[in-house]
Amino acid sequence: MSYFEVNGINSFYGDSHVLFDVSMRLEQGEVIALLGRNGAGKSTTLKSLSGLVETKSGSITLEGRELRGAAPHRAANAGIQLVPEDRRIFGALSVEENILLAGLTAKPSWPLQQVYEMFPRLQERRASRGTDLSGGEQQMLAIARALTRNPKLLLLDEPFEGLAPIIVRDLLAVCKGLAEAGQTIIIVEQNLAAALSIASRAYILNNGHVVFDGTSAELKESPQILSRYIGV
Amino acid sequence: MFNWVNLASQTFNGLVLGALLALISSGLTIIYGTLGVLNLAHGAMFMLGGYAGYVTYTYTGSFVLAVLGGSLFVMLVGVLMERVVIRHFYNRPDEDQLLVTFGLAIVFVELVRFSFGSLSFIVPPPSWAAGITSLGFMFYPTYRLVLVGIIAAALLLLFLLLYRTRLGMIVRAGIEDSTMVGALGINVHQVFTVVFGIGAMAAGFAGIVNAPVVSLTPDMGESILVQTFVVIVIGGVGSFPGAVIGGLIAGEIISLTSMINPAYSYVMLFAVMTLVLVLRPHGLLGTASRN
Amino acid sequence: MINQRPFLVEILTALGLIVAPFVLPYLGFAPDTVNRILIWGLFGIGFDILFGFTGLLSFGQSALYGTGGFVAAYLLTRLGYPEVISALFIGMAAAAVVGYLVGLVALRRTGIYFAMITVAIAEMFYFVEFNPLSEWTGGENGLPGVPSPVLNLGFASFNFSSGWSLYVFLAFWYFVGIVVALRIIRSPVGAILRAIRDNPLRASAVGHDIHAYKLTAFVIAAAYAGFAGGLLGVMQAFMPPDAFMFQTSAQLIMQTAIGGTGMLFGPLLGAAVWLFLQDFLQSALGIGAAWKLVLGLVFVLLVFFLRRGIIGGLVDLAKWGWGRFAPSAASPAPAAAIPVASAAADLPPQPRPVPAAALASRPTVAGATGHILSTEGLTKRYGGIISNNNIDFIVKRGELRGIIGPNGAGKTTFFRMLTCEVAPSAGRIVFEGQDIAGMTVTDVCQRGLTKSYQVNQLFTRLTVRENITIAALAALRGKFRLDLLRQPRRVPGLQERLEHTAELVHLTDRLDIPVSALAYGEKRRLEIGLALTSMPSLLLLDEPLAGMSPSERVETVQLLKSIRQDRTMIIVDHDMEAMFELAERVTVLNEGVVLAEGTPAEIQASDAVQEAYLGGVHA
Repeated sequence: MSYFEVNGINSFYGDSHVLFDVSMRLEQGEVIALLGRNGAGKSTTLKSLSGLVETKSGSITLEGRELRGAAPHRAANAGIQLVPEDRRIFGALSVEENILLAGLTAKPSWPLQQVYEMFPRLQERRASRGTDLSGGEQQMLAIARALTRNPKLLLLDEPFEGLAPIIVRDLLAVCKGLAEAGQTIIIVEQNLAAALSIASRAYILNNGHVVFDGTSAELKESPQILSRYIGV
Repeated sequence: MFNWVNLASQTFNGLVLGALLALISSGLTIIYGTLGVLNLAHGAMFMLGGYAGYVTYTYTGSFVLAVLGGSLFVMLVGVLMERVVIRHFYNRPDEDQLLVTFGLAIVFVELVRFSFGSLSFIVPPPSWAAGITSLGFMFYPTYRLVLVGIIAAALLLLFLLLYRTRLGMIVRAGIEDSTMVGALGINVHQVFTVVFGIGAMAAGFAGIVNAPVVSLTPDMGESILVQTFVVIVIGGVGSFPGAVIGGLIAGEIISLTSMINPAYSYVMLFAVMTLVLVLRPHGLLGTASRN
Repeated sequence: MINQRPFLVEILTALGLIVAPFVLPYLGFAPDTVNRILIWGLFGIGFDILFGFTGLLSFGQSALYGTGGFVAAYLLTRLGYPEVISALFIGMAAAAVVGYLVGLVALRRTGIYFAMITVAIAEMFYFVEFNPLSEWTGGENGLPGVPSPVLNLGFASFNFSSGWSLYVFLAFWYFVGIVVALRIIRSPVGAILRAIRDNPLRASAVGHDIHAYKLTAFVIAAAYAGFAGGLLGVMQAFMPPDAFMFQTSAQLIMQTAIGGTGMLFGPLLGAAVWLFLQDFLQSALGIGAAWKLVLGLVFVLLVFFLRRGIIGGLVDLAKWGWGRFAPSAASPAPAAAIPVASAAADLPPQPRPVPAAALASRPTVAGATGHILSTEGLTKRYGGIISNNNIDFIVKRGELRGIIGPNGAGKTTFFRMLTCEVAPSAGRIVFEGQDIAGMTVTDVCQRGLTKSYQVNQLFTRLTVRENITIAALAALRGKFRLDLLRQPRRVPGLQERLEHTAELVHLTDRLDIPVSALAYGEKRRLEIGLALTSMPSLLLLDEPLAGMSPSERVETVQLLKSIRQDRTMIIVDHDMEAMFELAERVTVLNEGVVLAEGTPAEIQASDAVQEAYLGGVHA
């Protein structure tokens, strides 16, 4: 059994069937990319893994522990941590409060200093309210919050969306550092180059189905697959 | 009769009432902001605090214990209410929530009426705060001055709770995005229960500390409820600072206009509420975060 | 139940009212109690229309009840006005006017805010009536000396004084009230009120002015309240100030919830239960003052478990029994079904169906060819983020255009600006030669631009037939029409429009199925059907293929091709295969601007577009 396994899950928004028998697996320390056009079901997959979207049938297991159907806080406490697409930082709270809140139920959690070492910019802005942060800073904060919880599995949903290239470059460096340190990651990202630079394997989703499962190298050498499922 | 002493006296009364409304409305607004439930039983909880405090007073003779007893009792009521009733209504339409809290309000009021009858009860102020104080240009009931202090302290405590504790952090985050709070590993159901308890306790506390100023009757929560609604519409739903400011404004409006005629205070409140709804639909400090 | 056969309900009501005085005394009801029940019942009819049908929970009905009552009583007592019946109507009119003014303020908000405002209104009216206006209202003493109605027929004169003779008077007006209410709820307006309760967003988007209809419901409720208030004064020979008390609104709400909402007779039954229990609990069980506590508990339990009240519970029980013992029978129509043109047995013969092509879309603007829609410099900013940046976009009449783009391209925002759900920060939108900036979704729909939503926006409590009817009523009657008493079959063209739309989306044999029982694919088809009902000249489709299985996709693509006719359509979706099969031209948005536009082949061959999607994998 793999470190993390998803077997044949079907997810729904109400009665709209958005994921069809989706399966994937990861070993500890692997970084995989989840690719596909928008509407394919990538975000829905990450939300299903975090308990935010209703999943019927199939299983989701982390270190053998079944988590399908778990409420969000149970999935989070089991070690699955989502960095959502719209970041969802708490605007009314300060940067530091955002981080502290995230660490409350994690055992053990990262000490505040460790977080600030990884994101010095956040330390500079520690007292600022969430609403006063720039897009890049908010993304950093969203990732910092997730890392504070020492997650077994980190889910990054479009972390580079809407950010200036220079910020993307910095964040990518952070992600590479995490990957090198052995963090298990699933990254959903439209920026293919960025995604494939840190992921060793990739899955492609199309209309809610998994249509590709292979290494990043294989994918880079298959322009037909790329244009069919990711391009136009 | 217009004279400066009268005006000053009414202004002070407005301050007392305003502080009271600020505290009660804070409770209502954090419940609504976090849970999305408008607690129509909030006025009844104010009343329950008064009666529970009265009962404690008759057994102990201590005002302080009465305040503790009243507050804790209503907090328990709030916690029970959330666990047994309210949590089944989170996914039901708004009207159902309104109807069930409304029904519970009636049950509370009738329960009290059944147990205590419709006669009114008095809780005397503590001996160190009884009598009147000379303020130089006028005399004013001592307890009312003390009351402002007590409520200010309570509001300060509530402020510290919300802004300086972990629980407060969770509550403020929950008002904004309770789903994300869950995604960060915190059991929001427990948070909801705690918030309801705190909000209820605020109302109950207000009920017992206000008891020496008015006489306790089963219906005393009704007008408070209406005034509380006006306060949170003015101040903005879900905003603690808004409830405080709105409360003070409403308190002064009620007090000063009732110098002319008590009924006009309602008209004025309603007029101000209408104005706010037209010009600033989310209230003075409200955010558009909740639908 | 309300619509099964014409006049059945009216006849049964009349019979019930006639028989009651002979039966009720044996059940322990005194005439005075029965009279009170009738007045609460009449008061409740209007409230049920407001709350049960339209979904507006108002705590302020006591204000209107008191207003009507006191105006009538004042006329009859202080001013010595001679005619009781017309005084009642004047009181009703006064209440309706006050209701209109109050509604203008209260209906600015919905849901919880609306409820809070109505609570404040109730309290305000009570205090004002008590004090500053006490000269007119008698303050805490009320207005004594209200005369009984007298009916003078020349050869005989009837004095409806009290007890059973007054019952005749009250029963008559209750009957009139029911007949009028039945007409109203069976009328197009009644159907629209129910749609507003179910899904106000969609009711507005299919072309109804929902604010005007809500105000109408509010005024109707006020009128019933005012008339009932006047009757209260007549019955007691004195107009009491506690008509204005908040407890009055509270009792009305509880009685209606106990009896059952959305069925008009709920308040009557609820009042009977309430008054009976009040008597019974106090005298028979000797509980004394705790009767209200018991009733309060009953109310809470009912809200918890029997949301549709006693009548609703009985109806559900009947359906369950019917289902058990007659399993082969088709599922019965829900209790408060919307009236539809074909339900009545004595329908006039329908005209032959018009060939589909001729009904494809509304007549085009005379002499108009070329562009049906164009945008110039269309921009939307959210704080510092520019979601749509200076977009120029043109669609020719009759085209089928696709819009695609990577995530965050701004497609959703663009669509929402086209339907006027969102106001642009800058730029113009010209539809059929008209600048539509500042219009509402309702107006734009009436002009021929509709949208089918990504997430189904259906009227979930209604059947397929009723859903399409709602859309058709807006198309055929405009955004607001006060045809309260019109019979549904007298809406010209309704049946044709209904059948035509159902045929287009292949739902003809599913018309009487409730939406909740439809399969997902069928719901999507109905979703498109609702947008098609008004025969739009421009139809927008927001991710029509979302959430579909592969076979459903194939079906939907065929459907979209078949509904095209000479309509213009713009589709946003992510299913590239489907898009390229359907669209003649495709516009590619990326990061808020138009990246490319052309035929599907041109788009697929464009390096810039591939680059945008593939993000630099192939350098």
